Parts: sequence; C-alpha cells; structure tokens
Amino acid sequence: MVDLATKSLLHDKLRFFITVSGVAFAVTLVFVQVGLFLGLMDNASLTIDQIEADLWVTSRNTPNVDFAHTFPETYIKRVRAIPGVAQADNLIVWFMNVNLPTGAVEGTEVYALENFERWNFPQGVVDGNLADLRRGPYMVLDDSAKKRWGEFTVGDYREVLGRRLKIIGRTVDAKSFTTTPLTFMDYRLAQSLNESDLRGNTTYILVRLAPGADAEAVRKEIRQRLPYNDVYTKSEWAKRSRSYWIDSTGLGLNMYITVFLGCLVGIVVVAQTLYTSTMEHIREFGTVKAIGGGNGEIYAILGKQATIAAVAGFALGALQAFALRPVMAKIDLKLIIPMELYVAVLLGAVALCLGAAVISFRKVATIDPALVFRT
Amino acid sequence: MSILQTRRIEKDFHEGREVVPVLRGIDFAVERGEIVSLEGPSGSGKTTFLSILGCILTPTRGELLIEGQEVDQRKLAEIRKRSLGFVFQQFNLFPSLTALENVEYALNVKGMKNREARDEAQRVIEAVGLGDRQHFLPRELSGGQKQRVAIARALAGNAPILLADEPTANLDTTVGTQILEMFRALAKQENRALVIVTHDPKVRSISDRVVKIQDGALV
Repeated sequence: MVDLATKSLLHDKLRFFITVSGVAFAVTLVFVQVGLFLGLMDNASLTIDQIEADLWVTSRNTPNVDFAHTFPETYIKRVRAIPGVAQADNLIVWFMNVNLPTGAVEGTEVYALENFERWNFPQGVVDGNLADLRRGPYMVLDDSAKKRWGEFTVGDYREVLGRRLKIIGRTVDAKSFTTTPLTFMDYRLAQSLNESDLRGNTTYILVRLAPGADAEAVRKEIRQRLPYNDVYTKSEWAKRSRSYWIDSTGLGLNMYITVFLGCLVGIVVVAQTLYTSTMEHIREFGTVKAIGGGNGEIYAILGKQATIAAVAGFALGALQAFALRPVMAKIDLKLIIPMELYVAVLLGAVALCLGAAVISFRKVATIDPALVFRT
Repeated sequence: MSILQTRRIEKDFHEGREVVPVLRGIDFAVERGEIVSLEGPSGSGKTTFLSILGCILTPTRGELLIEGQEVDQRKLAEIRKRSLGFVFQQFNLFPSLTALENVEYALNVKGMKNREARDEAQRVIEAVGLGDRQHFLPRELSGGQKQRVAIARALAGNAPILLADEPTANLDTTVGTQILEMFRALAKQENRALVIVTHDPKVRSISDRVVKIQDGALV
C-alpha cells in the first residue's frame, strides 16, 4: 500500500516542522505547567508523606501542615493511653527568624521532635547524625537554605531567635510549599527558643498504630478524648494541606487556564497548518476523488497526518519537558511528570489534532472533483 | 452495445440568479477500442461534457449509460473506480510519490493491494517506457514523462474507458506526437475506448472519429 498521507506530510518538511513544533509547544507547556503544579503539591505535603505516622492530631481547623497552631503538649498522654496506639510523639512545626552573618534576617520553618529516627524523618540526610540533635543547641539544615542564606557548612553557626545554634548536619529535598528553608532541631530546644508560644505546647501529635489496630476506631477514640482537636489519617492530612494551597492561591485555576491556553495554541497551529496544507493539496484530493476515492479515503489521509503530527509533536514536547527537569531543579523547582500524565497528554494530543483536522474534513467534503480539469 | 453513451444530456450552471445552459441535449456514443476526439472552441462545453462522461459532474437532464447500464448518480465514485481512467492537462500527479507509486496508489484506491498492485503498476509504467524512471518524483521528470505517468495511471486497473483532457497542451510538438502515438497503441492494444478533448489538430491523426462541439451542442 502506498502511504500517501505520510509521504505527503513529510514532503514539505518545513510545514511538517511547523506543525510538529505547534504540537510540541502545547505538549511542553502542559507538561511544564502540570509538572510544576505536581512538584509544588508534592512539596506541600512532602513532610507529611515522609513522616511515618498513621494519624495526625492537629489543633482545630489547622489549614495545612505549615500553618500550625499550638495546643497543650500534655494531650499526648491521653493519646498514648488509647488501645491500638503503638507510638505517639509531639511534633512542633513553627516559623522562626534567623539572623544571618550578613546582618539580614530570614525565616526558617522548624520541625522539632524528640526522636527523629523513630519517625524516619527527614529522609534525605546527607551529612551528620539526627540522633546528635538531642545533645545540645544544634540544628540540621536543608541544602535549599543556601539559596536564601548563602553558603554554609557543617560546623557553622547560625543565630535562631537570638540564640547561636551549631549546624551539625545537612539534608536534601526537605521542602515546604512556602519555600522557606526547613530546619530540624530537638523538641525541647525549639520550645526554649520561643517560650511565649511553645512552652508547654506542641503543634501536632504523631500517632503510629499497633499492628492490626483499627485506624477508624483509634481515631474515634482520640476525638472523644481530645474534643477540641482534629484527627486526620496521613493521606487526608496530605490532601488537606495540598488543597489549601490549590484553593487559596488560585494555583489550580492558574494551571487549568495555562493548560487550556496551551491546548488552544496547539489546536490553532495544527488546525491552521493542516487547513493550509489541505488547501494547497486540494487538487491532489480532487485527483483522489477523480480516480475513484471517496471522502473516506481523504478523511483517512488527513486523520493519519493529524495523528502523525500529534505523536511527533508529543515526542518532541516530552523530550523538551524532560530536558527542562535538571534546569528547573537548579532553581529549586520540581517537575514531576508521572507515567499517567505522559499517557494522558499523548491521548489528548492525538484527540486535539484529530479535532483540529475536522475543519479540513469539512473542506474536503465539499471538493468538486471537476477542479482536476481546471488549469 | 456502446461502452459509453449519452442521451439528451443537458447541463445548466447558475450564475447568481441566472441559469446558464452549458450543454444542450447531447447524444453521443463510443464503442470499445474506438478513439474519439472532441473538439471545440473555448467555452463550448467540452470539459463540462467530459466531466459528465467521467461521472465527475452530474447532468441536469438526460441519461448517461456505461456498458449499457444507466449510471446511478449515487454511485459515481464507485463507477469512476471501476470503469474510468483519466489523463489531465495538468498531469495531476501526487508530487510526494514516485512515478511508480503514483500508479500504484491509483490501483490501491481501486481496491488492488500489496504485491498485485505493485506488479501491475510496474507493468504499465514499463509499457509507457518509464521503467528506468519509475523511482523518480514528478519534479524530476520532464513534461512528457509526467504525462506518460498520468497515462500509465489511467491504464492501470483495466478501466474500459479512458478520458483525456488536452493531454498534449503542455507538451512540445515532438513529445506530444510521441505521447499520442503511444496512447493510441496502448488503447487499441487493450481494446479500450478513448475520448480526447483537445484543441490540438495532431490528435485528429490518431482518432477514429472527430466530434465537434459548439455552444453546448454537437455539430
């Protein structure tokens, strides 16, 4: 079988390149926008995902993990007494000011626990030992702080709320949605740094269930014993934290609009190039009809050309998005492109290109085959 | 029985609100193996008549019969596929396909596939003397060679009726004569009916009959 669709499409290489570029642009835009969105959302719940807790006890109506409110730390005794609770610890998440050697004041988001290893958190420790945090006025700092605070090494000191703390370790990829650098320190040390807010208080209780324990039953019991707190499963809490940023920042709407615009640009480019190409090849399509072909044959040609443009544009767009990942990483932006997104964008690109070809379909349906006799 | 016949064919075109009669009751017939040239001045209705013979235009009134059967206006594409081969003044080759592929594609449209189509295309492309140019794209061929490919495409698939619109108009005298002689030989050899619309007096020399058309009627 002679493949007129492919040969005709590739015959005009410049036009083919323009068509594919249009699709690739749309595909790249969708990948980057959705990928960045997923990256930001991943950051929004990254600490929740890493901490190996089954349930989170929060103060009432806490909107997300970063914006914590305090409640008495002694509540933990009520939680530990509940059957089915294997472990429970207080966790403080609190914003504090850091005085830098340059004289500037920056913020940090402190995560404070009595025992970090127990919760396998933070996971990306590249220098130092988390157990040493209990030994004194020490902190472990995430590498992302370098961007705001300037270079630091283990052994340096930084002043947190007026107190000099020694950096005894580094982590990577411990991030929050706010992009404020994360600092890890001992629970009691954090309380001592901000006594007015944190003395005798905590912001969360982490709960690990005993093997075989009924999470719903434990949660119900915690709610009974702590009627002025909320209790979430890990996934609920992660979702609530992500939803807060999506709803409050308009991030979700922004992503949808950009994806829509990207698709629109792709459709317009493909529709325009396919239509122009159809008009330029109108005599050829007339010839197809004259030699006995029907509209079906011509629709098949246009449909195949649209599909080839979609697949080639997808491949180029995906490649560009993939190449952008390390570039984004350098500016601390995470581009997450799961396999489901690849599949969805490929199917979307094919559907959109076929949709764009409809205008051409309508044109060829009305071709007068007698045009083949015109000079 | 004539292979191709018209009875009182009329064709009107509309220009705004005005109805312009282009063909006025043409009776015409061609036999198998016959070569007929259709001559007439510009605007006389030659090409419109050829379009109706080729099932490309539908007549306003009158009947078109192919192999004795009245043409079903709902099945024109099917009839073009089965019974008709065209040669155009502008060649109308697919620029992205080689000479061989142009012929093979026409066979594919007619329902012949794969090896069978390739072999048949090869046969006719060699019959028109382009065996050594079969893998050339149309832009790499001369005008005469392009028209040979167009003739090969029309011959492929054994359509009993061949219709040619000014096949020599874009060719110089020598090449035009060669093309006509080759066309005649192949049409006669395979007992096909050939109708040629032309201004070119040379076409008379290969025709069995000359029919003149003027103001939409045969004279």
